[in-house]
Amino acid sequence: MFELFKNLAKWLTSGSQWAGTDGIAHRLAEHLQYSLLATLIAAAIGLPLGLLIGHTGKGAFLAINLASFGRALPTVGLVVLVFLASGLSMWPVYIALVALAVPSIVTNTYAGMTAVDPDVKDAARGQGMRGHQVLFQVELPLALPLIMTGLRLALIQVVSTATVAAYVSFGGLGRFVFDGLAQRDLVQVLGGAVLVAVVAIVLDLGLSGLQRFLFRHRTA
Amino acid sequence: MNRRTLLGALAGTAVAVPVLSSCASGVTSLDGGGSTGGGSASSKNGVTIGTANFTENQVLGYLYAAALEAAGVKVKVRPNLGTREIVFPALKSGDIDLLPEYQGSLLTYLQPKSKVAEAGEMQNALTLALPSGLQVLPYGIAEDADCFVVTRATARKYGLTSLADLAKHNGKLTLGASAEVKTRQVGVVGLKGVYGVEFKEFKSLDSDGPLVKGALKKGDVDVANLFTTDTDIKANDWVVLTDPKTLIPSQHIVPLIADRVADPTVRKALARLGNLLTTAQLTELNRQVDKDKKDPEDVANTYAKQHGITK
Amino acid sequence: MTIDWSWIGDHTDDLTSLTFSHLQAALTAVFLGLLISLPLAVVAHRVRPLRGFLLGLSNVLFTIPSIAIFVLLLPISGLTRTTTVIGLTVYTLVVLLRNTVEGLDSVPAKTKEAAKAMGTRPLRTLLTVELPLALPVIMAGVRIATVMSISLVSVATYIGDGGLGQLFTDGFQRDFPTPVIVGVVLTLLLAVVADAALVALQYVLTPWKRRRA
Repeated sequence: MFELFKNLAKWLTSGSQWAGTDGIAHRLAEHLQYSLLATLIAAAIGLPLGLLIGHTGKGAFLAINLASFGRALPTVGLVVLVFLASGLSMWPVYIALVALAVPSIVTNTYAGMTAVDPDVKDAARGQGMRGHQVLFQVELPLALPLIMTGLRLALIQVVSTATVAAYVSFGGLGRFVFDGLAQRDLVQVLGGAVLVAVVAIVLDLGLSGLQRFLFRHRTA
Repeated sequence: MNRRTLLGALAGTAVAVPVLSSCASGVTSLDGGGSTGGGSASSKNGVTIGTANFTENQVLGYLYAAALEAAGVKVKVRPNLGTREIVFPALKSGDIDLLPEYQGSLLTYLQPKSKVAEAGEMQNALTLALPSGLQVLPYGIAEDADCFVVTRATARKYGLTSLADLAKHNGKLTLGASAEVKTRQVGVVGLKGVYGVEFKEFKSLDSDGPLVKGALKKGDVDVANLFTTDTDIKANDWVVLTDPKTLIPSQHIVPLIADRVADPTVRKALARLGNLLTTAQLTELNRQVDKDKKDPEDVANTYAKQHGITK
Repeated sequence: MTIDWSWIGDHTDDLTSLTFSHLQAALTAVFLGLLISLPLAVVAHRVRPLRGFLLGLSNVLFTIPSIAIFVLLLPISGLTRTTTVIGLTVYTLVVLLRNTVEGLDSVPAKTKEAAKAMGTRPLRTLLTVELPLALPVIMAGVRIATVMSISLVSVATYIGDGGLGQLFTDGFQRDFPTPVIVGVVLTLLLAVVADAALVALQYVLTPWKRRRA
């Protein structure tokens, strides 16, 4: 086992591993690209949806249960289905990742909106604020911590799942897992897994640190 | 996440990596433990047939099953288990007992540097190369070889008829195949060694699967690694590059079996099937599964009935 | 992309057995996850220094891609259902641990003090006061873990298992959408039914919530 660990350390630190189209640096960049882009798209869909449901109160059932539905969606099945429909392209990857991220963004955005003290909203309306003013100047800022949590959790999930790109021949860190499997190179498989975990953790710690900093003046 | 959980996460990472590594403690490859031989062979307790993750292997698996069941052996088929890298260790560790294999590919899997190419020679080379507890039974007449294929347009554009022609365009063409082809003799390594071919890029797809065929059609790869029994080759007017220096060894289909179940009943049943199934017939069975969307099991059973293996 | 309805008709037996196999893998993983996470959660809840470590470790494990865990387990437990279940249990364990600790945290300190004041021993307090009060949050975790598990089982098709996931690799290899669509629909249905069943179970297990003053 120490042998394996030693080989892993060598794999992670050797310069030649990092260089080239098959190298760690390139795969890392690809992986981050898939993850960030997919989360961005998911946010563009999920945030407005969550804000709308939270503001109007309509469709709450959807917001609460969407997360369950998203969690149940088998990523492999979705990727294969889109692949069969659209052929060899990044569509299967992005659709699967966006489908994974949207539910948790919607649910957390909705949760953030419902956590806003109704008295505050009333006071705002009482001051004569119109609907959209209440939404953007009162509710959204107050809901922001939970919304950011939702975005952070979605990003982490997407990073872990972006290995899926390797199912349909694309890059990212999942490539190491699949190629390592095909080439009987356990170190490569382990390396890919460890890299994904490290990226996810670094992003998680970084973003939660950012969250704490941004909301440092807020009380509970 | 408060500070304690943050420190916990860091400590967790420091622990998780060795924890993960210790998952494969003492193992540096994907192989599980070897099987222990000994005792006389018997198929009384049934035979578990495993198959790899492509159509033809599943058809073969169910054909083996039909042949064995007709001979009175209890059979269980575990289809679509994965690539050889997953399936072979399963055979060694006893999770499965019998596997339809291909002479050449199996030999290069066991001995990457092997240059043996003739069918009879390979049979002996395999017997020598296999770990104890496993053996190959006599090979059947049907054959399915790896081949390297280009589109008719590519062949015309670069003047390609044989693998040797590829060397005239080094650094220009992209090869698509499953990942292990990058590191094996019947693949990038051998093409360089025997024909002096160097590709511009290698794309990890699959061999003779939807990914590489899709890529070939789209033009994402110039050369694709396919199998000779694939009817898509003819259907798409693809050109199989010839192999004058016999890089690609003979690939007769051969049952790879654990010693402990290789008793006379099993041997005879598989020998009967081996002499019966021709390459053309196998190609047709593959077509029925891939194009007509029939189940491998049904296709195999129908064949078995038609050819008198089962009543 | 069209559905071949006759294929579905011809394969009801296979579909049924795949569904059962799929469910069995997921439920076993949740059950094992509960078995391991409950005592671990109590430890994490009570022993402050270990709490950060256990939660941190489980967060790390959660980020590891499931396909990698399955592949890494192959040399240990082979091409068997055991490998699938162990892999799934890693993830259910993480979810259940988090939620159980949170659930135990949510028990009001005053309630525990009252129990202590009455002379109840710590183990009894745990079993008759803390766990029942933590139940809603724990059950939320069980629901999440179950649904997630049902989705993850299909990844095991890459190591020859996978329940309904086998329909995905089959459809992929043969360019045949029908089994893939059926697989996705059945997986979702399975998750919905399981979730509903757990909601019903929670209702049954928390009678005090039903009693209105």
